[in-house]
Amino acid sequence: MALLTPYSKIPELNTATLLLVENEEQFQCRLADAIVQREKDVNVNVRLARKLPLPVENGETRPRIDLVVFIVNLLSEQSFLVVENSLNHLSSDYFLGKVCFVVTSARCGAVSQERLLSVRKLAASHRCPVICAEHQTDDGVTMAATRLLTILKVSAGLSPMPTTALYMSTLTRCTVPSDLDED
Amino acid sequence: MMGGRAVGMRGSEMEGRSSAVNTPVRRPVTRRSKSYGRSCVEPPSLFWQTPGHLTTLGHRIPTSRRAAKSHNITEKVDPEQVALLLDGEWKLSYVTPLFLFRHTQLKLYSKRLAAFIIAEKQQGVAVEVGLEAGFRVSFSAVLGMAETEEDAETVFIQIFSRPVFGADGSKPVWQGWLTCVNGDPEYLRSLPPDFTSLPLFCSRGAESLSALVKSWFQRTFDCSFGALGLSSSTLHWLAALWTGCHPAAGIRYLKLGWTMPTQPPLDIEYSVDPQDAWELWNSVHKEDGADERISVDEVQSFINGLETHFFRHFKIYLSSGTLTKVSTALGSAHHHGKIKMSSSDYISTVLTLLTECALLKTPV
Repeated sequence: MALLTPYSKIPELNTATLLLVENEEQFQCRLADAIVQREKDVNVNVRLARKLPLPVENGETRPRIDLVVFIVNLLSEQSFLVVENSLNHLSSDYFLGKVCFVVTSARCGAVSQERLLSVRKLAASHRCPVICAEHQTDDGVTMAATRLLTILKVSAGLSPMPTTALYMSTLTRCTVPSDLDED
Repeated sequence: MMGGRAVGMRGSEMEGRSSAVNTPVRRPVTRRSKSYGRSCVEPPSLFWQTPGHLTTLGHRIPTSRRAAKSHNITEKVDPEQVALLLDGEWKLSYVTPLFLFRHTQLKLYSKRLAAFIIAEKQQGVAVEVGLEAGFRVSFSAVLGMAETEEDAETVFIQIFSRPVFGADGSKPVWQGWLTCVNGDPEYLRSLPPDFTSLPLFCSRGAESLSALVKSWFQRTFDCSFGALGLSSSTLHWLAALWTGCHPAAGIRYLKLGWTMPTQPPLDIEYSVDPQDAWELWNSVHKEDGADERISVDEVQSFINGLETHFFRHFKIYLSSGTLTKVSTALGSAHHHGKIKMSSSDYISTVLTLLTECALLKTPV
């Protein structure tokens, strides 16, 4: 089974590549446009996918992927199941700061709390950050794009301060309080 | 010298006062709340402002529940009143605890609510135009619905319209009830003494009357109402609980309704033969013996079984849509917060589940 590995290709100069994985393909395009428009100093390539594993045909021409972002729509259970399956196709090197989860519709009243909790548990077990995004307004999309760009620059090694992806992910990883009755 | 001493005393008095003012402000105060961007590292808390029990309610989602037992509720509750509850479809809301609600003053409340409704209807009308219909309200307590000592007794409200021409006004135009069945005992015990918690509000009738009743309650008892939608996990539980009752009381059918997010939206109704549903449920649920508890994994496997069967035939992933409706002969529930109970034997189980949903949804 071909796993996606982060270090098997040579990085390009002043370039960062982002992979957005979403089952519904609703939020991907708007987010990709917002990301590309915000960043002027660095070349940002955004690639879109519905699930992993990625098609083998493009394997040669695909650049090195610096950050894999999984977008989970809390209104559908299928979204979460696809993400869970996709995690098996990533090499374990990715989980040292090169994976991020974005959750949409977290504030929707019709969503059951268990779904958000299970996404957070999944992210916590893989030591990855979770970002809640508002996909319906332009401001929300811009905010999500800004946050992802910050993480992308660190994981691509382009941040001016010497920060590594592993250090960043240790700071921002999702924690799930296991027992909340201690107070 | 005396002047000097007086100054000295005054100085220490002032110092004492200022230190008493300063100390409370210094303590760092963090309030824990289920806020939007809570994805980063939790800061350590030093001091909680609100009592801890009220805030932990929202995080404790139960993973196992008691199986539905058939209770002959007519032993405890007047059968006529039970018949009123089973009559049709109710719209659900959650209610925050009521302040100074007394079960002994129900007659007074009925008079006040009737006067309020009449006044609101007449608002803005200077001259009486047309027929003036009066309203009669009756508050009654349905005794026997409460399961534990901490539950407050159910209150049933009916509004009858009193037409001018002396015709029979005994058909209610609006009905509603407030109830608490098997509420979380720790939460109920932690409420301050003057508060009564009746978290589930069911109503049926004209929407304008519902709004008037809710605003009267809000003004009189300082509570607030909110719409209670039934999430897909609640509907899964109801489907599993009702299927589990099949040998005792035949459910006759299990119908599940889904809405797919396609353009235009596709509605799917999936009917399952009760015997097949029961066999699937039996293969998933392990009989524990004495203590019949159903765990959330069993419910999830049951629903997964139904969904994969559907996928095998129609190649549609049901999990990408939303479950909107579950219905059996014992009752039906809709995603927008509508419930119908058709059998008196399982009322307390369904109400326990709904009370729990209402308590989880209440903003604390």
